[in-house]
Amino acid sequence: MAYAVSMTRAPKEATRRSFLHDDRFQMMVFIAPTCIFLALLTIWPFIYSVYLSLHAVKLTAMQRAVFIGLDNYINLLTDPLFLRAMLNTGMLAVTSITCEIVIAFVIAKAFVSLSHLKWVNGLRSLFMIPMMVTPLIVGMIFSYVFNPVLGIANYLLGGVGLGPVPWFGGSTAAMISILLINIWQWTPFMMLLIMAGLLSIRADLYEAARVDGAKWHHVMRFLEIPSIKGIVLLGVILRIIDTLRFFDVVYVTTRGGPGDSTMVLTLYAYQQNFQFFQAGVGSAAAVIILVISIVITTFAVKLLRRIEDE
Amino acid sequence: MQTAKMISSISVMALLAASTAMAQEIDWKSQLGDHSGKTLRVMTITDPFIDSMKAVKDGFTNLTGANVEIDGYGYDALHEKELLACSQNDGSYDVLLIDGIWIGEFAEAGCLDSAEDKISENPDTFAWDDFTPSAAGQASWEGQRMCLPVGIYYELMYYRTDLFEKAGIKVPETFEELKKAAATFTNNPEFPGVYGYAMNNKRGAAAGQQWFEWIYSAGGKPWASNDIGSAEPYKDQTPTLNSQESVDLVQFFRDMVAYGPPGVESFAWDERANAFAAGKLAMINDWSVRAQIANDPKQSQIAGKFKAALMPHKDGGRTVSPVGGWIACVNTHGAQKDAAWDYLKWFASKPVHRDFVLAGGPPSRLSAMQDKDVQAKFPWTEVLFEAQKDAWVEVRPRHPLAFQLIDTVGAQVNKAIIGEKSAKEAMDGAQEDVTKLLKQNGLL
Repeated sequence: MAYAVSMTRAPKEATRRSFLHDDRFQMMVFIAPTCIFLALLTIWPFIYSVYLSLHAVKLTAMQRAVFIGLDNYINLLTDPLFLRAMLNTGMLAVTSITCEIVIAFVIAKAFVSLSHLKWVNGLRSLFMIPMMVTPLIVGMIFSYVFNPVLGIANYLLGGVGLGPVPWFGGSTAAMISILLINIWQWTPFMMLLIMAGLLSIRADLYEAARVDGAKWHHVMRFLEIPSIKGIVLLGVILRIIDTLRFFDVVYVTTRGGPGDSTMVLTLYAYQQNFQFFQAGVGSAAAVIILVISIVITTFAVKLLRRIEDE
Repeated sequence: MQTAKMISSISVMALLAASTAMAQEIDWKSQLGDHSGKTLRVMTITDPFIDSMKAVKDGFTNLTGANVEIDGYGYDALHEKELLACSQNDGSYDVLLIDGIWIGEFAEAGCLDSAEDKISENPDTFAWDDFTPSAAGQASWEGQRMCLPVGIYYELMYYRTDLFEKAGIKVPETFEELKKAAATFTNNPEFPGVYGYAMNNKRGAAAGQQWFEWIYSAGGKPWASNDIGSAEPYKDQTPTLNSQESVDLVQFFRDMVAYGPPGVESFAWDERANAFAAGKLAMINDWSVRAQIANDPKQSQIAGKFKAALMPHKDGGRTVSPVGGWIACVNTHGAQKDAAWDYLKWFASKPVHRDFVLAGGPPSRLSAMQDKDVQAKFPWTEVLFEAQKDAWVEVRPRHPLAFQLIDTVGAQVNKAIIGEKSAKEAMDGAQEDVTKLLKQNGLL
């Protein structure tokens, strides 16, 4: 009898042991914490945001939520302020990132060319400081620097005989000021990437170009730009995602004004959610921002892969 | 420096001693419970009066044994933090100071315990009738006394006495006189580096609140049934934002840009107060609490060189002084409500309020405004007393959509100020936006 029992147990234990040693089971165990983390902190809030976006609901009276279908989305996509925020965000992304790439390329080239000098390393580290500062603090610093009456910017301009500039006072001036701040803060990031790309170009390629009689613009066009294209595109993707989340500087300096000239998507969503407590509209805005981010990122990643394949 | 520190220490000690002496008039031992070992947490705005709250708080600790922790936040952050905490039934703060115009929003969201029973049980200590009528109105909602109006402000106009003496002109009382006076000081070689006036022009709450603060003195009103003294101001909320008075007022805001510093279109409360304290402006209007900044020689170059007057009004009209400021409420989700009510009973009482005011807090009681020591220390208090006589409590909306409504109006007013729209177009836009908002929320 005892023999019979042991005979029936043995295959079960063997099956269990083999299951525990199964590669797929082990993979599932290792992946599980990440899946749980993603489900709790990313997927569930997203599903809840979509749920809220389909309701007329205030954050202070969640129990009084009323299902309204896609009304919040329709209202948003016909709200001139939201459309202006989309336009401003797009414009900010295109202008800011383009300027950052151009300036960063020039500075990166200078640093690479002067890399044999000892003091260049220190200067390069100093150059990184802006991107290490919290954006909220950057906003506060520039609200003092650009203060039209007491700020140092107008004081310095006055020193060279130029009249005071209403940095945040006019629609165009405010947008340019915001752009300047953004470019000032994030050019070092782009420069870091471009410099890494330039340093990865083999010295013999430069040597070959020199032997072939290539001028500096030939080297730039046919050697350097193709070599750094992939890394620049990666930087562009990261910066687009950053710009879609751009909030702090505008919040501190202009609050979206004057008029609607510096209103951006995140500020709009923030106001709806946390100033007006309109959770339905705010969630719909957040979902739209997410969809835009996913579309742009997917497109950019595909482009990046194609460049890498080339 | 040492001497200054010693003087300030002696002042605080004297204040505390005086507080204890005055407090003896009320038998606090029988009025207050023993809260030894408790820590009471108060959430408030980082306006200048937060230091005055901290200066007197030890008096409560001495009487009850409870520690009082006072945390300050900026305007938007405070609104967001308090309401979010309330929506999550968070009781980590026992006492909430809220802007008087938020009361509808907070009451509707069920964030506050009513003060009605507490005041009725102990009318002498709370001395409700001693609060200015508009202060008392700020702390009441739908016929109930909800909170205690401990930090009430009135909007006054401040002007530089030295500049006015030099120019030989009188203090403006009407909009037209204000324009002329502002023009006198702007781009005038006799007053180098000085501009006439700076208004609250920044997009959103700043420009929006300004419109509500000035509209009654411009002869208009924000919505149909909101007449001064009305018993039912919220009965008909049909906006009157594009009335002729309103359009004229916004045009006046636009005209005043010419007499401000470059970039005045983006000025809000702090920018104006700082520019005035730096001696760059001949006049501003501002909440009474900020007069402290201009009168503090450590922060200001014009200490002792300015006076206050009532806000100007339209020709042939009269000044309706804007009222605002902070009311102290018990958090309905708090776990130490007995201690919280005791703190408010003590802090809002006449003698402690007087000490709080002498330490720099805004006078909210008639007794404090008429106190000779207070008037001697803060000369603008006499004007404040005059201002409260003609103040109207509903000058800004106090219903649950107040924050959004003011911001919506402010966005349009700012468009007129920067010249993106004409005054008429902007206020037609405001009328349309606010009507839509009120309809969406069932208030029209």
